[in-house]
Amino acid sequence: MTGFSRIGLRLLAFNLLVVFVPVAGILYLGIYESRLLQAQEAGLVQQARVLAAALGDRDTLEGEAIAELFARLERRSDARFRVYDTGGRVIADSARQSAAPAADDHDQGRSSSGDERSARTRLLYRLGAGLANARDWVLSIPDRLRAPVTRSPADQGGLPAEVAAALAGRYGAATRVTPGQRSVTIFSAVPVRRQGAITGAVVVSQSTFRLLSTLYAIRLRVFEIVVGSIVMAALLTALAATTVVRPLTRLRRQALEVAGRRGALPAVFAGARRRDEIGDLARALGELSRRTNDHIRLLESFSADVSHELKNPLASIRTAADTMAESDSPDERRRFHGLMVRDVARLERLVSGLRDVARVEGQIEHDRIEPVDVGGLLRELADAPGAAARSIRVTLALPASPVVVMAARERLAQVIDNVVSNAVSLSPDGGVVSIALTADGRHARVAVEDEGPGIPPSHLERVFDRFFSYRPDDRAREHVGLGLAIARQIVESYGGSIAASNRTPRGARFEIVLPRRS
Amino acid sequence: MSERAKRIAVVEDEETIREGICAALRRDSHDPQTYGDGQAAWEAMQGTLPDLAILDIGLPRMDGLELCRRLRARSDRLPIIFVTSREEEFDRVLGLEIGADDYLCKPFSMRELMARVKILLRRAAQIAEPADAEPIQAIGDLRLDPVRLAATWKGTGVPLTVTEFLLLQALVRRPGAVLTRDQLMDGAYPDRTHVSDRTIDSHVKRIRRKFASVDPAFAAIEGVYGAGYRYAGEA
Repeated sequence: MTGFSRIGLRLLAFNLLVVFVPVAGILYLGIYESRLLQAQEAGLVQQARVLAAALGDRDTLEGEAIAELFARLERRSDARFRVYDTGGRVIADSARQSAAPAADDHDQGRSSSGDERSARTRLLYRLGAGLANARDWVLSIPDRLRAPVTRSPADQGGLPAEVAAALAGRYGAATRVTPGQRSVTIFSAVPVRRQGAITGAVVVSQSTFRLLSTLYAIRLRVFEIVVGSIVMAALLTALAATTVVRPLTRLRRQALEVAGRRGALPAVFAGARRRDEIGDLARALGELSRRTNDHIRLLESFSADVSHELKNPLASIRTAADTMAESDSPDERRRFHGLMVRDVARLERLVSGLRDVARVEGQIEHDRIEPVDVGGLLRELADAPGAAARSIRVTLALPASPVVVMAARERLAQVIDNVVSNAVSLSPDGGVVSIALTADGRHARVAVEDEGPGIPPSHLERVFDRFFSYRPDDRAREHVGLGLAIARQIVESYGGSIAASNRTPRGARFEIVLPRRS
Repeated sequence: MSERAKRIAVVEDEETIREGICAALRRDSHDPQTYGDGQAAWEAMQGTLPDLAILDIGLPRMDGLELCRRLRARSDRLPIIFVTSREEEFDRVLGLEIGADDYLCKPFSMRELMARVKILLRRAAQIAEPADAEPIQAIGDLRLDPVRLAATWKGTGVPLTVTEFLLLQALVRRPGAVLTRDQLMDGAYPDRTHVSDRTIDSHVKRIRRKFASVDPAFAAIEGVYGAGYRYAGEA
C-alpha cells in the first residue's frame, strides 16, 4: 500500500475531530475556573462582612477576644482572618494562633498530594498546561498591554492597599500571586464600623490552591482522555484503512489489470462476497465485466458469422475465376461469368444487409416510441408487392376495436413487412397468406400464415439467427438471412417476441406478440 | 489401375462452386454428380456409393457433417474431402467423430482441390489392389507407405488424412532437422492454397493425438518454439 490514502487521511481527520470534544471541555474549564474564583471571592466578602458586623458590636477591638472568635471560626473555615486597627496594625491573625497550617497564601502543605502522581502524568499535565499557557499568553496580550495583573496597585507605605481602602471606609480587594505557586491568594477587606465610625478593618484571605488543585486533577484527567483518544483515533484510522481502504485498493488494482488485459474479463472481483458497500462495488464491477464479456462474445460470433458469410461468395467468385481461366469452351466461360456477376451482386446485398444490422442496432435506442394502431398498419402492409402477380391472396382479419402498441411506426412496419413478404415469397402460386390480429388484455398478437413448404422443426429457432436463410430451392441465394434476425431484435426491444411454427397439413406460421399500451 | 472414369459426388449449395468443381472434374476425365443439398445426395447414394465425395458443411436439409457420418457408417474407405469457410470446424471434421480424409478452406484453388482428389483416388486404388512396388520409409518405430498413404507406429496402423500424411512425410524426410511452418506448408500443400500458420499447428496437434491414441508415450514430433517442428524419432 502506498502510505495513507486520501480516504485514510479523511478518516483520521474525522476521528481527530472527535478527540476535540474533550479539548472543548478543557477550554470550558477555563470559564468554569473564573466563575469558581468569583464565587470564592464572594464567599470571602460574605465572611468578612459577618466578622466585621460581629466586631462592630464590640466597644474595642481586642486581640485576645478576637483570637477566641477565630478559634471557633477556624474549624469551619479555610480562610485566614486578620483584623487591623485604625492605625493599620494587625490586632489578630488566625494563622498565628492555629497549630495546624491554615489554608493560607503561604500554605505549601497541600501540594504534597502532587507527589503521588507519577512523573508521566505530571509530564502530560505540563505538556497540556504549556499548550494552554501558550494560548492564554496569546489571548491575554491585549489585556497585558492595558492593565496590570493585580486588581490593586502595590502596597502604599507598608499597608496593603485593600486594608487602606477598608480603613478609608471602602471595600478593599486584592489578588496576589502566591509565591512559588501557580495559585493566587484572594484578599477581601471590609471596614469594621461602630455607630458609623470606623474602628478597624477585617481582612479575609484564602488561597485558590484547593480550587486549582481540583481543577488540575480534572484537567489532567481530561488531558489523559485526549491523549488516549488520539491513540484510539490512530488505531481506528488504521482499522478503517484495513477494512475500507485496502479492499478498495485491491479492487482498483484488479480493475486496472482488467483494463490492460486480453481475453475474457474476470467475472468475480476481490471482495464480492462482502455484505457492505465495497461488496456492492465488487459485485457491480463483476456484473459490468460479465456484460462486457457477453458483448465481446456477441461481437466475436458476429464477426465469425460475417467472415463466413463473406467467404462463401468470395469462394464462388474465386471458383468462377479459376474455371474461366482453365476453360476452353466459350459457353462455359460465359456461364461462369454470369455466375460470377450474380455472386458479386450477392456480396453487395450482404454488405448492405450488414450495414442495416449495424444501423438497426444503433438506431433502435434513438427511435421515437409512439402509440401505433396495429390494425391500421396491417391494412397498409397487406398489399404486399408481388402477391398479385402470382395470384396469391392476402387476407386480413382485424378485431372490431383498434389495438394500440408502443413502438416506432417505421420499425414495426419493417418487421411486419419482412414476415409478410417472406410468407408471400414462399407461398405457392395461387396460395393464401392470412394475416390475423388478435388482442387480449395485455398483448397484441399478429399471426401471419402461409401455405408454403413450412420449416423443418430443427430450423424453427434458427430462422431467426443471423445469416440463416432456409429456402428449399435455389432462391435462398437471393436472401442474406438477416431479415428475421433484425425483426426479432426490433420486437424484443419493445418487450415483445416473435416465433415460428408449422401449420398442419402444411405451411408456416409466424406470430409477433407485443405488449399493448397500458 | 482401372481407367474407368471415377464417379465423384459434389454436394455443395453454392451453385458457382458446385458447377466450377464439376467443370474441373470433367476436365480431369472424372464423372461428377452434383447435389444442392445433403438429403438429395443421401437419397441418390442409396444404391451405389461414389468413388469420392466432396462435401460442403453448411447444406440445406441435411448438413455435410451428418451426410459424412452416414457415408462413413456405410464405408470406411470412401475418400471424403470437405470444402468450407468455417476454419473452426477443422478439428471436428478431420477428427474421429466425423472422419473426413481431407479438408480445404474456402476460398480454395481449384488445382489444389484436384491435386487432393488425385492423391485420394490413387490411395483408394492402392488399398483396393495392393502392389508393393514403391519403397516404404521406416524410421525407428514409424513406417510410412507413400503409395497407400498409410502410416504405422510399432506395427499398428494410424489413420491419417492426406494432409497429415504429407506433413509427417516432410518431417520424416529430414529427421532431427527443424522445419519451419512455411516448409511444412510446402510439403503438405503442393499448390500452396490459402492456409494459415494456425492450420499447420492444428494438423500437427491432430497427428500427435492420433499417434498418442496408438501409443500414449508418443513424443517423436517436437515443437521448437518460434521456429517450427522437428521429427525426433531415432533412425
